[in-house]
Amino acid sequence: MSKDSQMRAAINQKLIEMGERERLKELLRAKLVECGWKDQLKAHCKDVIKEKGLEHVTVEDLVTEVTPKGRALVPDSVKKELLQRIRAFLAQHATL
Amino acid sequence: MKMEDMPLSGPDNTRLEALVHDIYSELVEDACLGLCFEVHRAVKQGSFFLDETDQESMKEFEIVDQPGVDIFGQVYNQWKNKECECPNCKRLIAASRFAPHLEKCLGMGRNSSRIANRRLATNNNMSKSESDQEDNDDLNDNDWSYGAEKKAKKRKSDKNQNSPRRSKSLKHKNGELGGSVSSEPYKYNYNTGISYETLGPDDVRSLLTTQCGVISEHTKKMCTRSQRCPQHTDEQRRAVRLFLLGPSAPSLPDADAVVESDSFDIPDGQTLMSRLQWEDSPDISPTDSASSKASTNHSDSRRPKKKKTTSLGLNSGGIGGIGGSLSGGSSSSQSNISLSTKKKRPKLSAPSITSIYDDLN
Repeated sequence: MSKDSQMRAAINQKLIEMGERERLKELLRAKLVECGWKDQLKAHCKDVIKEKGLEHVTVEDLVTEVTPKGRALVPDSVKKELLQRIRAFLAQHATL
Repeated sequence: MKMEDMPLSGPDNTRLEALVHDIYSELVEDACLGLCFEVHRAVKQGSFFLDETDQESMKEFEIVDQPGVDIFGQVYNQWKNKECECPNCKRLIAASRFAPHLEKCLGMGRNSSRIANRRLATNNNMSKSESDQEDNDDLNDNDWSYGAEKKAKKRKSDKNQNSPRRSKSLKHKNGELGGSVSSEPYKYNYNTGISYETLGPDDVRSLLTTQCGVISEHTKKMCTRSQRCPQHTDEQRRAVRLFLLGPSAPSLPDADAVVESDSFDIPDGQTLMSRLQWEDSPDISPTDSASSKASTNHSDSRRPKKKKTTSLGLNSGGIGGIGGSLSGGSSSSQSNISLSTKKKRPKLSAPSITSIYDDLN
């Protein structure tokens, strides 16, 4: 297991070092805004906030309420494209 | 470049796949966290619900999508029928015609001020003709509606209006006057005349019965004023009629009237004369009295006999009074005749005249 976790850390470091992680994040954000994911989540946030009361909302509440829904609402096309790019990056730097 | 993970990724494809999914879910959670921070910040700053409004106001300001109406539900060509009230003359004028009308009404601008000044001047001079002129203005003013303006444009040529272009065309017309002159003499400028060579004999005759007709030495045109025009004497008028119509032409209608009135007026006392004058004076314009004076002088010189006979038999005290009354009375009565035939002229019966004659003699 140590080998696995070691490898995982190495890959993450590689992603950050190469700047690929930042690029992927930017791409994902643009795609999600484009397909309306952000508006849907915002509407959901509104419901959560109304439910909890405007004054008592914390970031933790929002994260626990929103993250599962956010993960489910990502369109398949966006998910596929992102996985493809990650795979390509790994293949590029692992096989070389 | 040497990679640490190179030997590890190779053997198991499923482990690599799990790794890829982990990275992906990390990225998605990052995005969610970013959104949560954003929303939380907006909520705490109070800007999150700003774009939300209640249903009533949303309904009130709904965008209207109907034909003939703008997005606020208003009819958009309302202004076409708007009318404004002129502050000067208190009349309603179509909005699109308001500015030109105001210019005319207030007398602004070059031409309008000239016209307005002239109107003021004439109004001060002749208070009587003021109302007539106002009426004419009303008739000729096209500011009141679109329809009237269109009509006016159609018959622009035969309408007397204020714009310089129209007056120019009018002047041009004056130069080549036809036979219709005698029927409408008032239409034309008094200063210009008529060339008598172009007129037929009938035209000349009808013209001479209504107008002065004296031929000017300079322009060789006929005077188009009335028969009492002060510029010319009765002698000139008679000469013109003799020249144009021959010796058989009827003499001036004035002459007979003068004779008649003279014969009636002479024996009367001063009181009657003054009464006559008083009665007539409101109707006599300055030009009228001047012309009548001229004609009176004329008649005096024409008939010296009668005058002498009357004055001969008078007492020394009565001469001046009757002499004065002679001219005054004749002038007033003559103007009376020429002004309006309908008006009653105080008549004296024949017997009374003769008796007065006898008394005088």
